[in-house]
Amino acid sequence: MKKILTKNFEIPESHALKVARANGAYASLDKLFKMKPEDVTAEVKKSGLRGRGGAGFPTGTKWGFIPKNTDKPVYLVVNSDESEPGTFKDRAILEKDPHLLIEGIIIAAYAIGSKTVYVYFRGEYYRQWERFFKALREAEEAGLAGKDINIYTHRGAGAYICGEETALLNSIEGYRGLPRIRPPFPAVAGLFGCPTIVNNVETLASLPFIINEGAAAYAAIGTEKSKGTKLISVCGHVNKPGVYEIELGLPIAKFLAEYAGGTLEERALKAVIPGGSSVPVMTASEALKTCLSYEGCECAGTMLGSGGMIVIDESACVVRCLADIAKFYHHESCGQCTPCREGCGWIKKICDRIEAGSGRDGDPELLLSIADNMMGKTICVFADALAMPVRSFVTKFREDFEKHIRSGKCPSPL
Amino acid sequence: MPKVTIDGKITEVEEGITILEAAKCLGIIIPHFCYHPALTIAGNCRMCSVEVEGQAKPVISCREPVKDGMVVKTNSPMAVSVRKSVLEFILINHPIDCPVCDQSGECKLQDYYFSHSLEPSRLGDEKVHKMKAVQIGPNVMLDAERCVECTRCVRFCQEITKTNELTIKERSDHSEISIYNDRELKNPYSLCAVDLCPVGALTSSDFRFKKRVWFLTSTPSVCNHCATACNIFIDHNDGIVYRYRPRENNDVNGPWMCDEGRLSYNRINAPDRALFPLALKDGDLARVSWDEALLKVSDLMGSVNSDEIAVILSARATLEESEAFAQFFRDKVKTPNIYWSGLDSDPKFADKILRDADRNPNVKGVASITDKRLDEKPAARVYIILDGVTDIELMQIVSSRPKAIVLVASHYDSHQHYPEIVLPKATFAEQPGTFINSGGMKQGFKKAIEPLGESLSGVDIAVRLAKLFPPFVREG
Amino acid sequence: MGFIFTKERRLEAEDILKRYPAKRAALLPVLWLVQDQEGYVSDDAVKFVAEFLEITPADVWGVVTFYTMFGRKQIGRHHIQVCTNLCCRLKGADWLLEYLRKKLGVNAGETTPDGKFHLSTVECLGSCGTAPMMQIDNDYHENLNVEKVDRVLEDLK
Repeated sequence: MKKILTKNFEIPESHALKVARANGAYASLDKLFKMKPEDVTAEVKKSGLRGRGGAGFPTGTKWGFIPKNTDKPVYLVVNSDESEPGTFKDRAILEKDPHLLIEGIIIAAYAIGSKTVYVYFRGEYYRQWERFFKALREAEEAGLAGKDINIYTHRGAGAYICGEETALLNSIEGYRGLPRIRPPFPAVAGLFGCPTIVNNVETLASLPFIINEGAAAYAAIGTEKSKGTKLISVCGHVNKPGVYEIELGLPIAKFLAEYAGGTLEERALKAVIPGGSSVPVMTASEALKTCLSYEGCECAGTMLGSGGMIVIDESACVVRCLADIAKFYHHESCGQCTPCREGCGWIKKICDRIEAGSGRDGDPELLLSIADNMMGKTICVFADALAMPVRSFVTKFREDFEKHIRSGKCPSPL
Repeated sequence: MPKVTIDGKITEVEEGITILEAAKCLGIIIPHFCYHPALTIAGNCRMCSVEVEGQAKPVISCREPVKDGMVVKTNSPMAVSVRKSVLEFILINHPIDCPVCDQSGECKLQDYYFSHSLEPSRLGDEKVHKMKAVQIGPNVMLDAERCVECTRCVRFCQEITKTNELTIKERSDHSEISIYNDRELKNPYSLCAVDLCPVGALTSSDFRFKKRVWFLTSTPSVCNHCATACNIFIDHNDGIVYRYRPRENNDVNGPWMCDEGRLSYNRINAPDRALFPLALKDGDLARVSWDEALLKVSDLMGSVNSDEIAVILSARATLEESEAFAQFFRDKVKTPNIYWSGLDSDPKFADKILRDADRNPNVKGVASITDKRLDEKPAARVYIILDGVTDIELMQIVSSRPKAIVLVASHYDSHQHYPEIVLPKATFAEQPGTFINSGGMKQGFKKAIEPLGESLSGVDIAVRLAKLFPPFVREG
Repeated sequence: MGFIFTKERRLEAEDILKRYPAKRAALLPVLWLVQDQEGYVSDDAVKFVAEFLEITPADVWGVVTFYTMFGRKQIGRHHIQVCTNLCCRLKGADWLLEYLRKKLGVNAGETTPDGKFHLSTVECLGSCGTAPMMQIDNDYHENLNVEKVDRVLEDLK
């Protein structure tokens, strides 16, 4: 398989400019600056690259939303807020190949006509920010970055919701990280009211290959609707947790066997969350029939999302798993709109109660009802991100919930 | 002009208008908490959600612009279900304080629950608790548990007063409205935030626990605290005024009024209120009957020539009061000395929002009757003064050693020893009347309560004086 | 007393302002500078930052309390943050918090009496594949076992 994102990961000191350059970093820039910006966008469109943050929106199409004759500055914002449980793949790029990201930033900024770039780091990624910052300085001193653009870093301070692109913009502007109502979309009125593109780290890191080898080469990899490669960060009950680059379309069964090293102590698989805690959980049998692509996961009633795969085996208590997820969303809700603010707390209380052995008969139905009342009824999809796990866990593992309530304790050992 | 169908009714509307505004034009009021026409859209309560044909998800009507051919249903099963769920979510942590909450009776949450829900509670867990009954400003109490986080108050302080005292702190269901630490919510319009609050989270500390609102009668009126003359409601019960509230008028004050004007209702029943006629007896002002007082006035007027009488009309009195006195003294008494006076200009009071440096509600009105101010060396011997004069004018009058001064006023400072006779006048709240404000707008108002004590409106006083001074015939 | 930046940080703060077309956008970077200097964001610092950026203390406070990483009071010299999210727990990290509580003699949210360590629980740190783990100050410590934890704590001054 062609390594696009991880090609330098195993090389010692891959984050240093000298090593990175020796291994192809910034090779695309010569070709890039000979192209017209609109042709770069067309190439990225042709490649079929989709946003790797979780939404999977076609990148070239998103860039195309920037108004053609705007007299306002155009901003590029890099979303390095990676905070979704199960997701640790952007971190790998920041640590092992920051120059790949910088190169991608230069390509994107050139295509959309941006002279100012803000790279937003989650506050906890301090060493990763430090490494990127050093790499950026190296690149600037070597005259590779900063000629026509200013790239600034901006550290967050602990808020998962700031990974939502409009909340991210509010966070940069010095406001509470609350998502904005759309329209207008950021491409029209984003950062400081100006046309803005927000791109994920992995998305940008995919660009140098597309410029170097061409859109057709990228589109030749993957499936009909999911082109190229994807980083999957796998964790939970597997023998070889870590970040792996796969060709999109790879079956989960194959991934678990050949990359993740199978389940711990060869215990039976119970559930798989393919794309970070926000997407619906799959039962083992569902997961083993599903492929890692956008359309593959969608067909299976879930989403590829960020590619943060969480593997759960039979030793786990799914009620406790849902309670953990509910705790996370309750902690991270921005609190702006009614259904999410109150619903997250309510769901957490019910899950905690069931887990502690004080569940009541109507609790599973109540959880489903609350999830229904949250889904699709808020300013952003954070509420959906809790509603979907609730719906899928309670529906697919109903027996576990009933057992918990009936017996007043957990039937599973973990 | 896009055409939209709402609940089966079709209307053509302006481009860019929202569904909620279009519905208003059709007389359909879509329930809402965070929306307010004078503030930016927050879109956070979700209460105004409606169903739009062709859209799978509910849409918030406060934000969604109308498109030509749009079909909207505000009471479809989807819309009704969302509304019920929003109310349920709010009530998850909302304390059922109604028995002790001032907002009871004018609370949107109560009203909407009764008209759109009535569902029993499904919560079987402990509610989130936050601070209660905290004085966050000289006039405003906060109960954070009751707050529905609509952010109207925060947006008000950001967009209208531009003072930014309020914020939301924390996040998730721990988020709360907050002032910072040692700061206060004390901008001159802080009580408008109380008006805006749809529930009992922000309440007036002045009105706290005084009266249940369902006992109050609301009389439309006009504030007399400055020349802007904001439109108000006078809320009263059993002859006592409990508060003023702003009455929306987009040509004068919008939906706002200042705190000082709002709290000036306290002047109606203030300790310095003149309630009974007073006359000088043995060097002291003593209470007398109306008959005796009026007779004394009439005698005084009869004891000098008509050109030795001066009447000073008031920019604080109603137009009708000043007109009645002017007519009597000009046409019947035939004195040429008709002046007007009022409170001195107060530039420190003025602001760019509503407050005017002119502290009189009817300068334009009284000046249309006479434009004369008192001479520097006034020569009259008997003065009839409505409400009062400026300090300088009082000095000029007193140092001219007049025979007598008659004060016809609603308030009387008993430390002032200059009047020989005091006739108690009703306040503007105790009579129908008119003010002409700084913008030249003539605004009429109704009588809210009966005059306190034995006070009478200036019009009635003028009529009674006229009866003792025939042949005065009131016109109109 | 009041809060003011050290000379170096003042220069840095002025530099930060140049990165943005609006002063308010410097709020997060400036708050980090404050926390660098004081260890937390004090009342005086809130007022200082408000004046520096021409916003109100309420504006600053709303932001400080929105994020988890800004301290509101002085804590121990070293901040130990343990992830208690799903993935760490699936990898058997339950023992870690308990172990630290017993070893340090404090609960989450508390500082040891000698002022050396402050213990907190946090949400996902992006280290799911290398659990059990903890963050101490700016560093991640991953693939932990009892021996490793003991060593790390001992090495800290």
